[in-house]
Amino acid sequence: MMKENMERIEKTMTSSIFEVFEKMFYIFLEPLDAGSRCDEYDMEAAIGFDGTMSGNVRVLLSREIVMAMVQNMLGLRGDEITVQEMEDCSKEAVNMVCGNFLGRLDNREAFNLSLPTFKEGRPRGLESGKDIYRMDFDSDYGNMGVIVRIQP
Amino acid sequence: MSFNVLIVDDSRAMRAVIKKTISMSGFKMDQCLEAGNGREALDVLARDWVDIIISDINMPEMNGLEFLGELKKDSLLKAIPVIVISTEGSERHVQDAYDLGARGFIKKPFLPEEIKKVLYEVLGVNDEGEYGEDREDDDVIDF
Repeated sequence: MMKENMERIEKTMTSSIFEVFEKMFYIFLEPLDAGSRCDEYDMEAAIGFDGTMSGNVRVLLSREIVMAMVQNMLGLRGDEITVQEMEDCSKEAVNMVCGNFLGRLDNREAFNLSLPTFKEGRPRGLESGKDIYRMDFDSDYGNMGVIVRIQP
Repeated sequence: MSFNVLIVDDSRAMRAVIKKTISMSGFKMDQCLEAGNGREALDVLARDWVDIIISDINMPEMNGLEFLGELKKDSLLKAIPVIVISTEGSERHVQDAYDLGARGFIKKPFLPEEIKKVLYEVLGVNDEGEYGEDREDDDVIDF
């Protein structure tokens, strides 16, 4: 049962990440298996949710992938990008990933989302565990990862 | 005919994307005004008239549903059509938005065509940005 839940959450989250990154940022991601993971991320955006279940979603990002997200989303050149735009795009990404994920899990229930937060610097606490699901992805622009924590 | 649009979203990046998408869709936009939350949007509306509002839900200070509630209370502002554009696309959130007076709902992430389609539907304009269906020559009055 636990394994089924885990597979369902990972599959649903993967679909959400693909949809958000392809539609909004024109970035195509490739899932990485646990052995190929790297923890070399430069920033993260996070959001909490509350409803029939609660928890939070963290999106881990390399600087290169955030630069590509901003360039592709806003049509800016690399030298025009500011930290504010990197923060805005990262927060919007975690907002869309979380909203899309919850909608796919249960479209009839309304979840309340917190306001997204953003932190620059090497993210901490990247290990997965009970009720914590971690997925990592590769792209032409570097890596991104997602950590979902669900409180039963 | 061109339209004044107000985009309400706390993300500057998202406001820029929506603005760019509307411009690229061929929609005839005159002024494009922006606000970072519902409170700022009410300030904009106190100064400028707009033809349509595109609003997010999850925003600080005054969220999109509270903003819709404020518009509904105002006899003048409630006439302005609002399209909600949000990640929170559950049936209940969509229904809440419609109950508060929203005329359209777009779920993020969106494709540019979706924004254009909903904009035209809500404003009741054709691809030339004109109101109504095919107009007969007889309807045109020469002065």
